[in-house]
Amino acid sequence: MSSQCSMEANPLGAAYYADQALQTSATIVENVRLASGTYRVRLEAPELARRVAPGQFLMLRLTGGSDPLLGRPLALYDTWLDADGRPRGVDVVYLVVGRMTSRLAQVKAGDVIETWGPLGNGFSTEPVDHLIMVAGGIGQTPFLALGREALGGRDYGEAVRRPLRAQRATLCYGVRNVDLLAGVDDFRAAGIDVRVSSDDGSVGRKGLVTETLGELLDEAATDPGTSVRIACCGPERMMEAVAHLAIQRGVACEVSLETPMACGIGICFSCVVKVRQPDGEWDYKRTCVEGPVFAAKQIEW
Amino acid sequence: MARARRFHAPVAHGKARRLDSQGCCRHAPFEPSATRYPLSLAPPTSPAAPEIDLRITLGRLTLPNPILVASGTFGYAREMERLVDLSRLGGILPKTVTREARPGNAPWRTVETPSGMLNSIGLDNDGIDAFVEHHLPYLAARGAPIIVSIAGRTAEEFVEMSAMVGDAAGAAAVELNISCPNVSHGVDFGVNGVLCEKLVAACRAACRLPIIAKLTPNVTSIAEIAKAAEAGGADAISLINTCQGMAVDWRRQRPILGNVIGGLSGPAIKPIALRCVYQAAQAVTTPLIGIGGIASVDDVMEFIVAGASAVQLGTVNFYNPTVSMAVLDALPAAIATLGATGVAEVVGSLQLKRN
Ligand SMILES: Cc1cc2nc3c(=O)[nH]c(=O)nc-3n(C[C@H](O)[C@H](O)[C@H](O)COP(=O)(O)OP(=O)(O)OC[C@H]3O[C@@H](n4cnc5c(N)ncnc54)[C@H](O)[C@@H]3O)c2cc1C
Ligand SMILES: Cc1cc2nc3c(=O)[nH]c(=O)nc-3n(C[C@H](O)[C@H](O)[C@H](O)COP(=O)(O)O)c2cc1C
Ligand code: FES
Repeated sequence: MSSQCSMEANPLGAAYYADQALQTSATIVENVRLASGTYRVRLEAPELARRVAPGQFLMLRLTGGSDPLLGRPLALYDTWLDADGRPRGVDVVYLVVGRMTSRLAQVKAGDVIETWGPLGNGFSTEPVDHLIMVAGGIGQTPFLALGREALGGRDYGEAVRRPLRAQRATLCYGVRNVDLLAGVDDFRAAGIDVRVSSDDGSVGRKGLVTETLGELLDEAATDPGTSVRIACCGPERMMEAVAHLAIQRGVACEVSLETPMACGIGICFSCVVKVRQPDGEWDYKRTCVEGPVFAAKQIEW
Repeated sequence: MARARRFHAPVAHGKARRLDSQGCCRHAPFEPSATRYPLSLAPPTSPAAPEIDLRITLGRLTLPNPILVASGTFGYAREMERLVDLSRLGGILPKTVTREARPGNAPWRTVETPSGMLNSIGLDNDGIDAFVEHHLPYLAARGAPIIVSIAGRTAEEFVEMSAMVGDAAGAAAVELNISCPNVSHGVDFGVNGVLCEKLVAACRAACRLPIIAKLTPNVTSIAEIAKAAEAGGADAISLINTCQGMAVDWRRQRPILGNVIGGLSGPAIKPIALRCVYQAAQAVTTPLIGIGGIASVDDVMEFIVAGASAVQLGTVNFYNPTVSMAVLDALPAAIATLGATGVAEVVGSLQLKRN
């Protein structure tokens, strides 16, 4: 459900999604390397797994210390299922960059980690013919679950939630170099058409992800009967470029912002971003409860 | 500049929830089974533990227990209703409200530091009119005492807002935030004893509710300001607000916070807060509310023994959202450990001489 519709639906002009959230100590099932500095950690957390939807995130916090003090928001990569096909836990993919992720890379099966979620709004579930997902670097993490659901592979969240459906799902995935390319087999196994590009040409086409996107949009423009929507996540400047391209071409576009967060649940007011209001003025909105997914045209870049 | 603010309240949304007539949300009840507390915390009181009286009195204000949540660290409580049984809290302090809406400071607004965090939120809020209309009715129906935190730019604004909160139904007390380091004039009344006393007295005269003064640690003598608040007639004194601090990105040669300087909170400031509570307890008889780095029942007990009648949990809500419930579960056993039957008995029970 996109944040715009909820704003219309309630008089206070704010969305709120932590209505599914719970806090729990989750056991680590595995923590495996996918690419250079990139890992997938699997948590056992059935109640969280049952509720979480594509584009939502959870907060993860290492137990037993006060440095790093705060939890970190990490996107849902996928849920994993038990033998009977019921959600048993969640997978999160992370890149080692700083205090928390460098320690997370050390955790082992059987260790326990504190988590709360699911949080945030998630991507729109409005049906579309062609879903184009655009990822920069570790920004690819929300798109496995999104693409899987769009193609009918798995429905996420509570039964009351409407799943997303699309005829086609393409992932334009830009990386700096081949060493950082992660999870492509997962995406392809889910039926997603993956178009890789890299800054140095070490994998896929050499160049920016926006070039691949531009070509896809050109192609789509020849078939006006096909509806297209872009979902984008990555470095801010890349999201800004994608947003401008989408607006220029008149294509619907959602971006998932990675604003720094201290709580993830709406109580600290640190994660604000300038969001354009229906009257054209901007206002600071909390990414964790009003987002992280916003319509690209709402963001004051 | 942003225009006047929209209301920040998160409200019920979508299929899973329905709005009732007051715009409040109904949901499935709190599920303690789904929520596990940190292993370091004691399990809920055993049935064998004696009845412990958790009630405390702060001047004209009586609270069901001493575990409160601090202003600015609990949103407007709606955000927490799924994670915490709000009705169990000894008191809820919603985010400080100002006379007019304020957009708050530019990002970055927070940065993590060793065992703490710096913030420069800048009193981002929708203004007192919106607060009284949209937040207070919701808060008042949660079953916990609501202590409304206000900050004025001038004494007149403080007095006017105290009166407004007193006139509106639903609040149990007013906390004067005379200690916000992130807005200009935010601390004038918290660093000058004469101004502090006059302000507290004027607010007390204008408002039927108990008045609490919240002090900043960024002063030469906390005892002096506490005495001034007492002389002004404060029902209780909260301490401390954040300690001023700063973070620098030397590679970019820039401050990290958008506002350059911010307020430090979290476990890193607990010793400073304990020292302030202890010094204030020596100087005044007005009841104290301890704040600063409290993260566990052990921390709560340290503040109570040092002289606090109640405590507020702050930053810990960010990194352990259900902590208030865990602390409440563990508190009776901790009191019993000291051989006491009520919280009030152990307040300020610090032994200074070795026997
Ligand atoms: C909704 C959402 C979803 C996310 N999903 C993922 C995901 O799926 N995978 C993933 O790997 N990451 C994800 N992130 C990012 C993640 O939350 C962490 O920020 C990241 O993992 C770094 O954490 P760290 O503790 O390792 O690094 P930190 O030690 O926090 O540092 C990270 C980097 O940011 C800089 N930095 C940190 N804080 C500040 C500050 N206040 N001001 C300026 N610079 C700062 C540091 O200098 C450093 O370069 C997501 C973020 C959001 C908001
Ligand atoms: C992000 C943040 C926002 C805060 N906002 C307010 C506020 O609006 N009003 C106020 O009186 N105190 C505010 N405080 C201060 C806290 O209420 C508390 O006094 C302080 O953080 C010390 O306690 P702690 O270490 O437990 O967090 C804020 C603190 C933080 C971290
Ligand atoms: S991260 Fe705390 S309000 Fe969004």
